[in-house]
Amino acid sequence: MVDAARPAVAFRTPRFGEGAAAWLLSLPAVAAYLLLLLIPTLAVAALSFTDFELGLPGARFVGFENYAELLRDRGFAKSVGNTLVFVGLVAPASIAAGLGLALLIEAGARGRTFFRAIFFLPVVSMIVAMATAWQYLLHPTIGPVNAALRALGLGTPNWFGSSDWVLTSLGFISIWENAGFNMVLIMAGLTAIPRELYAAAEIDGAKSAWARFRLVTWPLLGPTMVFVTIITTIRSIRTFDTVATLTQGGPNKASELIVYTIYQEGFTFLRMGYAAAMTVVFLAAVLALMLIQTRLVERRVHYG
Amino acid sequence: MAGIEAKDVSKRFGDVQALKGVSLAVAPGEFVSLVGPSGCGKTTLMRSIAGLETPDSGTIAIGGGDVGGLRAADRDVAMVFQSYALYPHLTARQNMAVPLVMRRLDAWRRLPLIGDLLPGTRAAKAEIAAEVARTAELLGIEKLLERKPGQLSGGQRQRVALGRAIVRHPRVFLLDEPLSNLDAGLRVQTRKEIVELHRRVGASTVYVTHDQTEAMTMSDRVAVMMAGEILQIGSPRDVYLDPRDLRVAAFVGSPKINAFAAEAGADGLVRVAGTPTGVAVAIQGALTFAARPEDIAPNAHDGIPARVEHVEFLGEAVLLHARVAGATEAVVARMDARRAGTFERGQSIRLRPDPARALLFDAAGKRIVARAVPLGLKEIALG
Repeated sequence: MVDAARPAVAFRTPRFGEGAAAWLLSLPAVAAYLLLLLIPTLAVAALSFTDFELGLPGARFVGFENYAELLRDRGFAKSVGNTLVFVGLVAPASIAAGLGLALLIEAGARGRTFFRAIFFLPVVSMIVAMATAWQYLLHPTIGPVNAALRALGLGTPNWFGSSDWVLTSLGFISIWENAGFNMVLIMAGLTAIPRELYAAAEIDGAKSAWARFRLVTWPLLGPTMVFVTIITTIRSIRTFDTVATLTQGGPNKASELIVYTIYQEGFTFLRMGYAAAMTVVFLAAVLALMLIQTRLVERRVHYG
Repeated sequence: MAGIEAKDVSKRFGDVQALKGVSLAVAPGEFVSLVGPSGCGKTTLMRSIAGLETPDSGTIAIGGGDVGGLRAADRDVAMVFQSYALYPHLTARQNMAVPLVMRRLDAWRRLPLIGDLLPGTRAAKAEIAAEVARTAELLGIEKLLERKPGQLSGGQRQRVALGRAIVRHPRVFLLDEPLSNLDAGLRVQTRKEIVELHRRVGASTVYVTHDQTEAMTMSDRVAVMMAGEILQIGSPRDVYLDPRDLRVAAFVGSPKINAFAAEAGADGLVRVAGTPTGVAVAIQGALTFAARPEDIAPNAHDGIPARVEHVEFLGEAVLLHARVAGATEAVVARMDARRAGTFERGQSIRLRPDPARALLFDAAGKRIVARAVPLGLKEIALG
């Protein structure tokens, strides 16, 4: 057993100090962070100052030319606007739906596992495959949704074909997908609320479900809701697969969302430098958003 | 002031019968402790009185009126929880105001901004603030009111929880192990404070604890519960000196009462390990002979033979632990430290319980009448 004790002693010798051991132990994490996150991000940032095009040899340093072009690019502006509208629709609706579902399932006496599985299904199913189902459901002529609307004597919009409706239709699919995800997160948050607080609220005279929700559930769900809001915002900003499979940004760029625009610039028009500039702007905007959310809200929901 | 009357209350959780037809009457203004080991049903009985559990059968009345159909919020009871159950996002002041806000302001008046615009809201809020301030002064926590529970120590939290309970002058005050999360020193101090608070507030109080010292020192009456039943309810003095059941005798008192397997002969004389005890009973056969540590003493000439295992010096007293041959538990004798002789481990001694103070229980553990009889010379010689 003397041999086994030797390496531990070796770590303490001055030649191989504690600091070096610490660096050695954190090396895998540092390497992963550098190789997978920091270097690619810096590479994209560097690329955004060039006119690099995929397939063409060499690249020229162009300074802020790509960024200047972005400011003039009406397609990009349209795409940013579409994304804002889309996030403004999807994030609040899917958070509200997730909260509603979680509260209903928690309040129910039975079938908890069953309902949780049902509403979580969109999250685990492949959205590209599910898009086909939505395409059929919302088909202007043979789709069951429009058949139902016709039967009720209501208008039958061309869901994916009309520039007035296309963002709403894509948004609805995203809400359907995110609500189940949020529901699971919120249910986890709900189970962490001590039961005794509800007993105390009852004794203190909080008689209605609404009063108990305001007094106990909502404040104690605070940290969960901050996390859910951030994750939902990121997930809806990044929406790509439904756009690529269902509308390709059309009609008339009405459903161009920012990630799809970046993809088109980079991989369809092969203008990597320009796409990189878009990515940098996108990244900066998302980071700023996260900072604002955490700074503003986090302080108010962690008690202690 | 209002009393509490629970009659034949039963409650079952799945396979566990938590309460087996329990009856309990608390007089107006009385302080009653429910004491017993964990799982004995004491908390279930308290939660049934509060309205947080619905009994399967039986009735509960507060102030003479049946509250079976009333929910907790309408029973006018206040409760202090073991975990205190303070709202973590509210300051101590807001926590204490909750029971008043919930009762005096309707849902519209509780809304931020809009509520203040409605007539009467401001006056009601000012009154609530004044009452919270008065209660805080009573508890000596004026300086803690702006802190949130996370910034308070255990003892401070407990005071805020007490404040939240007494601020609206409830008819009934329920305390569920409120001291169990405090350290030993604070517990002794808070014990006294709760008793003084009870005297001032005067509400009927039910106090749940597993700690017999708390129950004995604080209560007007103690209800000893075990396995879903109240075995005995009486003054701390009665429960200690006159237990009706062997389990009560064993639960109350520290060190535990000494119980010996005994035999009553045809003449009614009780013998422990063949040794006459100087006690006679009206029945025959196997029974339990019990004596408190202070009612048993080593004796040079007669008594139950035992071997010294361990001696504890407590200052004012000495605890002598000795073992009777074949017994599983040691016998403990408590002696005045100044009069106790010296004992060595392994030394053979004889222990003599005071026949006038011995407690006898039949085979089912129920107390039976015993009388002391003078021992004849012949019997001493035989022993």
